[in-house]
Amino acid sequence: MNQEGTSKTGRNFRCEDLMRNKDGSVVKRAPSRFRNAIAKYIVRRTQGCSVCGTCIRVCPFGVHEYAGKKLARPREHLCIGPSCARCIKECPNGALSLVSNPLYETLGDCRWTNDLITSTWFEAETGEVPPNHMEYRVGDSGGGFDRLRFRFPKEESGKYRTDGEVSTSIQLNKRRDGRPEISIDIPMYGGGMSFGSISLPIMLGRAKAAKVWNTFTCTGEGGYPEELSPYDDHVITQVATGLFGVREQTIQRVRVVEFKYAQGAKPGLGGHLLGDKVTQDVASMREAVTGSSLFSPFPFHSVYSVEDHKKHVDWIKEINPRALIAVKVSTPTDIDMVAVGSYYAGAHIIHLDGSYGGTGAAPDIAKKNIAMPIEYAIPKVHKFLIEEGIREEMTLIASGGIRTAYDAAKAIALGADGVVLGTTELVALECVRCGNCESGRGCARGIATTDRELSQLVDVEWAAQRLINLYSAWHTQFVDILNRLGMKSIQELVGRTDCLIHLDYVENRIEVDRGEG
Amino acid sequence: MERRLSLANRIIESRERLLRDLPPLPSCKVEVEGGCGVIGFISSIPVSGRHIFEPSIQMHNRGNGKGGGIAAVGFSSKELGVTQDILENDYMIQVALLDQEVRQQIEDEYITPFLNVDEGMRLPTIDDYRDIEGLKTKPPDVWRYFARVKEEVLERFIDENGLHDISPRRAEDEFIYQNSFNINRKFYASLGEKKAFVLSHGRNMMILKIVGYAEQVVRYYKLEDFKAHIWIAHQRYPTKGRVWHPGGAHPFSGLDEALVHNGDFANYYSVCEYLRQRGIFPLFLTDTEVSILLFDLWNRVYNYPLEYIIEAMAPTTELDFDSLPPKKKRIYRAIQATHIHGSPDGPWFFIIARNEPYKHKMQLIGITDTSMLRPQVFAIQDGEVQIGLICSEKQAIDATLHSLASEDKRFCPIADRYWNARGGSHTDGGAFIFTIDGKDGERGLTCTDKFGKVIEIPEGQTHCDMTIEVTIPSSNILIEDKLKECFSTNNALSLFEYIKDKISGWDYNTFRWCCGKIQELASIGDDYKGIAIEVLTLLNDRRYDTAKKKQGSILHIIRETLYKIFSSTPIISQGSDSCYRFIDWRRRHLLQTPRHGEKILIINASDFPPEGEECDARFIVEAFHLGWKRFIVYGYKGQRFCGCGLGPNTEGVRIDVYGSPGDYLASGIDGLEIRVHNSAQDQLGQIMKRGKLVVFGDVGQTFMYGAKGGEVYVLGNAAGRPLINAVGRPHVVINGTCLDYLAESFMAGDPLAGGGFVILNGIEFDSKGRIQEQPTPYPGGNLFSLASGGAIYVRDPHRKIRDEQLNGGEFVRLTPLDWNLILPYLQENERLFGISIEDDLLVVDGIKRGPEEVYRKVRAIKLSVLTGVEDFGE
Repeated sequence: MNQEGTSKTGRNFRCEDLMRNKDGSVVKRAPSRFRNAIAKYIVRRTQGCSVCGTCIRVCPFGVHEYAGKKLARPREHLCIGPSCARCIKECPNGALSLVSNPLYETLGDCRWTNDLITSTWFEAETGEVPPNHMEYRVGDSGGGFDRLRFRFPKEESGKYRTDGEVSTSIQLNKRRDGRPEISIDIPMYGGGMSFGSISLPIMLGRAKAAKVWNTFTCTGEGGYPEELSPYDDHVITQVATGLFGVREQTIQRVRVVEFKYAQGAKPGLGGHLLGDKVTQDVASMREAVTGSSLFSPFPFHSVYSVEDHKKHVDWIKEINPRALIAVKVSTPTDIDMVAVGSYYAGAHIIHLDGSYGGTGAAPDIAKKNIAMPIEYAIPKVHKFLIEEGIREEMTLIASGGIRTAYDAAKAIALGADGVVLGTTELVALECVRCGNCESGRGCARGIATTDRELSQLVDVEWAAQRLINLYSAWHTQFVDILNRLGMKSIQELVGRTDCLIHLDYVENRIEVDRGEG
Repeated sequence: MERRLSLANRIIESRERLLRDLPPLPSCKVEVEGGCGVIGFISSIPVSGRHIFEPSIQMHNRGNGKGGGIAAVGFSSKELGVTQDILENDYMIQVALLDQEVRQQIEDEYITPFLNVDEGMRLPTIDDYRDIEGLKTKPPDVWRYFARVKEEVLERFIDENGLHDISPRRAEDEFIYQNSFNINRKFYASLGEKKAFVLSHGRNMMILKIVGYAEQVVRYYKLEDFKAHIWIAHQRYPTKGRVWHPGGAHPFSGLDEALVHNGDFANYYSVCEYLRQRGIFPLFLTDTEVSILLFDLWNRVYNYPLEYIIEAMAPTTELDFDSLPPKKKRIYRAIQATHIHGSPDGPWFFIIARNEPYKHKMQLIGITDTSMLRPQVFAIQDGEVQIGLICSEKQAIDATLHSLASEDKRFCPIADRYWNARGGSHTDGGAFIFTIDGKDGERGLTCTDKFGKVIEIPEGQTHCDMTIEVTIPSSNILIEDKLKECFSTNNALSLFEYIKDKISGWDYNTFRWCCGKIQELASIGDDYKGIAIEVLTLLNDRRYDTAKKKQGSILHIIRETLYKIFSSTPIISQGSDSCYRFIDWRRRHLLQTPRHGEKILIINASDFPPEGEECDARFIVEAFHLGWKRFIVYGYKGQRFCGCGLGPNTEGVRIDVYGSPGDYLASGIDGLEIRVHNSAQDQLGQIMKRGKLVVFGDVGQTFMYGAKGGEVYVLGNAAGRPLINAVGRPHVVINGTCLDYLAESFMAGDPLAGGGFVILNGIEFDSKGRIQEQPTPYPGGNLFSLASGGAIYVRDPHRKIRDEQLNGGEFVRLTPLDWNLILPYLQENERLFGISIEDDLLVVDGIKRGPEEVYRKVRAIKLSVLTGVEDFGE
């Protein structure tokens, strides 16, 4: 049952009663499912410890706690490091010490730095904005969103506001074409990941979280497991080139249907689920042959032009007269034309998938090398739709490497209405980005797998809570960003490139770097 | 050969002058558009422009009203107000003025100094373009000049460019071409603001185009009664820009031809570069323009025969290339090596109308790309007058013929033959050419494929003149007795057999009288109505010998009778005992729950929009939700999505479809049954889950793409890419063949353990309704490619399909288990189409064979690409 509620950030949203705390917030702590979470620092406790409890008392982050009459192993991943070190200084026995974790250095890469990965885990565990010692806003790629910063007005400028309600909701149907006007409470929804590429508990967790935050998650191209039916109103059925698992029923039961023409991580390559991952469950969901690789061709065999595309859209609209149509495309150089073509074809949402995304299953040669970077594609399309006089009628969604709330806000400032998350959600579920999603039975952490045993590594409730927490942490950040920009709604931020600066074009870089995100 | 080459080079060199100071080549198309609607027809007698009107309206959903154009070839001199000599010999230069002011300048700089104008006029138009509903932009004023190049100008041109070796007339052609290029460059391409451009300049042909729909061209320039031998029309779907120019619309012209195009090139820049190296620079920046520039280059500069031009455009590849005779291979290899960079890559379909003044011919040409990625249908009708048609959708052909037949009884609303081209193939070359030859009064129409093979039409048959009153035939008593007997014993099949046997001896009058009697009987009561519909439907669906009568005319009589029976059904709101109820677009709001005894809803679909919230497919869903389960829907004119949206568990629902239904029919059905009593179009049965689909004709492209199941029977052929990515348990019988790519990535499990399969019979009916084998059961180079499950059972007694055609499958011997599996489907096939297992399918060259000798099984093999370790999956 849905009901109006108020989160502790003071905004209204609907969510299931059962999921809500007494204070109306939906956040609940969802600690790592592994005994030892990977941490930035190692906190060592020697035999000299007298279990006096001083460390527990002084640590503001809950690193230390009792385990019965003893002290538990420090929860190192919560420790902020030498900038605090209060427990070490105050330990009467000198039994505590702090060193960097060598394992931490091996985690991540330039796009997804170790700090980004662990701060995403932090957000998913606590639902809060990570502490400052973690760089949770940008990565280290040297390009893309990592070279963009917000230009926040100084606090005393008067624009800064903390009063009143800030809206982060966006409209998915702006066409006023008689189809339902659907809004989502946060400017983001979950991207398509199929049953086959990920496990059922992960799919369910995503759907539950989407329901709590009144947004959506997408089936990807691998069928619509029956278990998802309680969440029909928050699921997007994807119609992709292989048409796997797509039936009238799966089109009719949802409020949004997405056509996937291409993925930004691998435009022109179609899809390919390897034989090993085609378990009996996967094969029966797709009605294919167990153990044989499954191809999604590129492109749709029935769509070779915009008028074919229109016919395609008309077909889905005929089957489900209340559905909104989203069109997911990669970002070729003429992406602006594709967007306009989709408008004329009657789509409600144009979803641009840029080149930074993609799990381990997308070939490295394709990732980042074919499609246009999303930060170029968004303003190109946004401006062109304005020139064509149709921007107000289309919802523009961006994806492909949205890692942080700041990435999302930047995408919106560049001209998108909202974003789609893929990899980020997997990271929130403790993906370590090892990049072996496709091989064998899939993921060692039980995420990108359909192996029955591996799938059991993830509990649905836990997965849902992690994502709810992630969304909450991002929501807090959106509200903060909007407050600082003096805006009342995320919709005001759309296309406000004047709120951004690019580090390449800034002379006094130091000042900017000190600024946030 | 060398002389010809040097001549070509001299023409090319002469053009270099034109290209001075031009900017670099455009790196991409500036005008972008999607697929479009195209239609063309050629008639042995000149017909008026109003007949391009209806088909153009039929294809509205393939355009968006931002560009429409028509071209016409072969006029009457009287109508144009010039002498026959002027019509045949003068260039008919048509200049579109977007800015009235520049006419004087064009005349002063490009017309008067170089040309002798025999006749000049402004094309008549209606007074105010706003009188045409929906036309938002004023079409250009068009000035037409009948002109020849002045002698001294031509001499100078020949001298300056060393063109002495070609005939002066061809040099004159080139002068006109270059002169128009200069006009376009100065008044269109180079300007920020576009002021004027040359629409066309060939002999005895013209092009007109506007920002609007094609049929608005006809109305604005008052061409409803203007006659021509060839008409082509184009509905454009441009997707960029808020300001459109008619210059970007189709058709485009080289010299004596006009080309319309449906599709999109991937190698636009490469083609431009190829053209630039040959002294040609595109000024309108669309695919279509460069297509006709290519055609003109190969035609007029290189002097290639049409076959080689087609080869340069759509190269023959793979198995098809290997199947060519050695001599052809050598030539084709040379053509491909020389011109592959200029060969348009991507989905495209061209219709070209041209005048061949040197050979006194006029032609209508349709060419499809090698992969057949755009829809295309060809049709021909023979008789006292002949007509050839090419179109993106069949209903546009129907609309044209319908329009012609309503004005001139020599035309019949149904063609003698409909077919698709197989792109880049060794069988037909993916192109067909309709030619009218000779002088006026004795024009005859022929149709050949790329290789010159003539499309045969049964000889000696005549159309039915429907204006003649029906009289009582001499055999009336016998027929009436038989009718009464069969009606009273409820035996439609026996009546059908009777008529089928008798019809070859009957004249049209007898048959029409018989149909009239059936119609009378149908009005007696529901039982009789059911029999009447059944027997007429059988006559419509089956093939039989009609002797001297045209099959098209017979079908027309049958369908007219059926439609009369349908439309005389009591309207839904009326009180009546009948279980039949009628509804149409005008009375759609009367739709209600079936009352007691009401069972069958007859819907006249003709006025429903082809798609959108109010389309007939949604109307059927609405009726279904109210409780209707049995539908007869007729009068289809391309309306799409029939049967879609009813959702799962729709067993017991049946829809009988009459007319020309549109794309996506039965896509997604999950339980219900649909019978299409005609050929069907593209994208049939996509993602079909369960249920039954019967098509008493051909099916179009991407048939059953991604299907999961269902029982499907097709009487005729399937076009390209049927059953791609099909999974689960589809059981399909195709009695004809497929163009190519049948069951690519088929994943339908083990057919012997409940999985899916396709039975491909590779047969056809001859003009006498007899079953014969097709030249090969499967002509394509790709059968069952990358398949991992399911099977193809192909009737191939002569073992004509080769291993090279398979890529992912292997031939295995048909076992008794296989035969037992497919037998029930062949039995149902026999019931539906009258194709006998014992007497037709298992008989080879007159001798009865065992199933394992006739049928071959193709099954999947484990391919390393399917079980390997690299991956790209979402």
